Amino acid sequence: MKRISMIALVLVSVLFFKANAQEPTTDEKLTEVNDKINGLTERLATAESDLSKLTKIKVSGYMQAQYQYFENPSIQPNNYFSLRRARVKFTYEMTDGVKFVLTPEFVPGNLSVKDAYVVLNDRWSKAFSIWAGKFNRLNYEVEYSSSSRELAERSTVIRTLYPGERAIGAKLEYNPVNVPLHVQFALLNGADGITINNVSGTNLNTTENKDFDNYKDIMVRATYNLQLGNFGGLDFGAHGYFGSFKSNALKTLSSDYKTIEDVKFGDAVKRNWLGGEFQLFADVLGGMSIKGEYIAGKNASIGYSPVAAAGTTAAIPGVANFQNNFAGYYLYFIKNLGKKNQFAFRYDYYDPNTDITGKDVTITKYTSADAVTLKNRVSGKSDLATSTFGFALHHYFDDNLRVSLNYEIVQNEKVGSAGLLTEDYTKADGTKVVKGLDYSNVINQNLLTLRIQAKF
Amino acid sequence: MKSLNIKSFAIVIILLGMVGFAFAPAADRITVKGSDTMVILAQKWAEVYMKSNPNAAIQVTGGGSGVGISALINGATDIANASRKMKPTEKDKLKARYNTLGVEVACAKDGITVYLHPSNKIKELSIKQLGEIFKGNIKNWKEVGGADADIKLYGRENSSGTYVFFQETVVKGDYAASCQTLPGTAAVVNAVKKDPNAIGYGGAAYAEGIELCKVKKDDNSPAYLATAETIKSNQYPITRYLFMYLRNKPTGAMKSYIDWILSPEGQKLVVEMGYFPVK
Repeated sequence: MKRISMIALVLVSVLFFKANAQEPTTDEKLTEVNDKINGLTERLATAESDLSKLTKIKVSGYMQAQYQYFENPSIQPNNYFSLRRARVKFTYEMTDGVKFVLTPEFVPGNLSVKDAYVVLNDRWSKAFSIWAGKFNRLNYEVEYSSSSRELAERSTVIRTLYPGERAIGAKLEYNPVNVPLHVQFALLNGADGITINNVSGTNLNTTENKDFDNYKDIMVRATYNLQLGNFGGLDFGAHGYFGSFKSNALKTLSSDYKTIEDVKFGDAVKRNWLGGEFQLFADVLGGMSIKGEYIAGKNASIGYSPVAAAGTTAAIPGVANFQNNFAGYYLYFIKNLGKKNQFAFRYDYYDPNTDITGKDVTITKYTSADAVTLKNRVSGKSDLATSTFGFALHHYFDDNLRVSLNYEIVQNEKVGSAGLLTEDYTKADGTKVVKGLDYSNVINQNLLTLRIQAKF
Repeated sequence: MKSLNIKSFAIVIILLGMVGFAFAPAADRITVKGSDTMVILAQKWAEVYMKSNPNAAIQVTGGGSGVGISALINGATDIANASRKMKPTEKDKLKARYNTLGVEVACAKDGITVYLHPSNKIKELSIKQLGEIFKGNIKNWKEVGGADADIKLYGRENSSGTYVFFQETVVKGDYAASCQTLPGTAAVVNAVKKDPNAIGYGGAAYAEGIELCKVKKDDNSPAYLATAETIKSNQYPITRYLFMYLRNKPTGAMKSYIDWILSPEGQKLVVEMGYFPVK
């Protein structure tokens, strides 16, 4: 019995010491936990550092799908669904002072680059920034994002002067920290979205990635924000465009169809205009704004003049450069209806030729006297003014989703009498209607657009 | 489709526009979001106001001034609390979406205080020294007359209005990469409390268990602690207003709430919570 007791005691002692030997002390446990926490902290710091690099990249974008119904009989098919835009904007802010922006646009069958620029901010006064690349031209309606715009498309004058909105060049911006002043100055190629003919009439500007002459266009815009106490605020400003194209023709015709100037290849064909703008914001039972802009000046398109070999006649008659005095404006009224709905009205007017009226168009004295050098430079449809009444209702399901109903009533300037300016068109069944569009009347060009926009 | 009659269409649209005036925003339930500096004050306001106005429902959350203003722009909140002014780019977004410039209500004053560990023998610093410290140009306490020890920097995340205000007023450049960003002023205070070599910044209302550093405008100016008197008299050099931003002029329940905040009763809570009244 004594022997059994001794064995039991030895066994219990062995087990006790063994158990005690395996159990770590409190200090050991603390060290282990500390090590684990340090390990986790290190991993967290690495993850945080990786994550902070990712936060320098911002991705935004929007997509617009729409249904349109055209009342113009010459447009066939007269109704369809389309994907207007699908854009993704990548912004990478490397440091506080440097930003890269790239915006590809995807539409079925086409991929294009809308924005591609770098911005360098002045890190000392914080007032200056330099932009280089492809960016929006300096104009209120151009710079106002399509995803925020209250009417389906920009006004006619803006679409005409700034096709595609963007331009390649460099820009200096001045935004003083404590003054609500915004000044922009840009040097641009000036060819973006515009047909540039060589001497034989072939458009060279298909890729729009470089200039075709040594003339650089200058654009300047300045705006000021005025606070009107509790009523709201008034932003106002002006912009100017001062540019030139290189002449590839030997004549320049003015839009009065009388003044013809002899020029040389390479001479500058000027295109200059000035504009004034305002945006009034008022808090009248919810937000409301009235916005307007007036632009007038001289635009130009370049012609071409094939050079004939000695003793021969050029195969293609030349086309003169054309300089047209124009004027255009728009006026918006926008009212927010609670938090979810918005109503907008816009009247816009564009006269591409202020030298002659609709009644002058096609009249003999306003046509070319020189059929060789001035071919195709007779007054016509492109000299007629257009006015558009636009209405829109928007419903915001949330910040990301907007549904818009737009209706545009388009009215053309009329020519003097029936039959002077007509166009044929083809109906949906293939029947050709000869002289079906007569510009002595208002041609029905009204357009209904139902658009859904998703933004992120 | 038959061509629409212009006059009828215009009349319908104008009528709809007129009806829109009847939709003037009137909030029954008020949501408040934004500045972490202001969150304890905003919660106190809401709590006291709801006691005396049982029909009012006010929901308060933080997130930072930038987050609050973004929420105001995208319609997710009725009031954005901000410890900085709205930026021009944020105003532009508000204009584009709501056609207003927003309404700015200055509801309290605050001094951004500089937190030190109680054991730190440094008791005052100039704005310039603080700037150099947070830029990372001064790395050791002995460079400003303290112990030979590396300075540990604690600050707020870049969505914070305090971060922006401190950067614009004091740092005047980029924060040092070694500045550890923390979510909320309380977290900055806690970090400084535990680290003898730490320095942090934030609202005066959170300053418990740490030492407040006196601040000098420049080397020749006297150093001031953030107190009601020095903030009111603008002697304390890092003083700012705290704002509430609304989309439109307040009406109905929202107006009553804002008026109450600016009343002596609401401003009394400002003092109780460690901030400073606007009046």
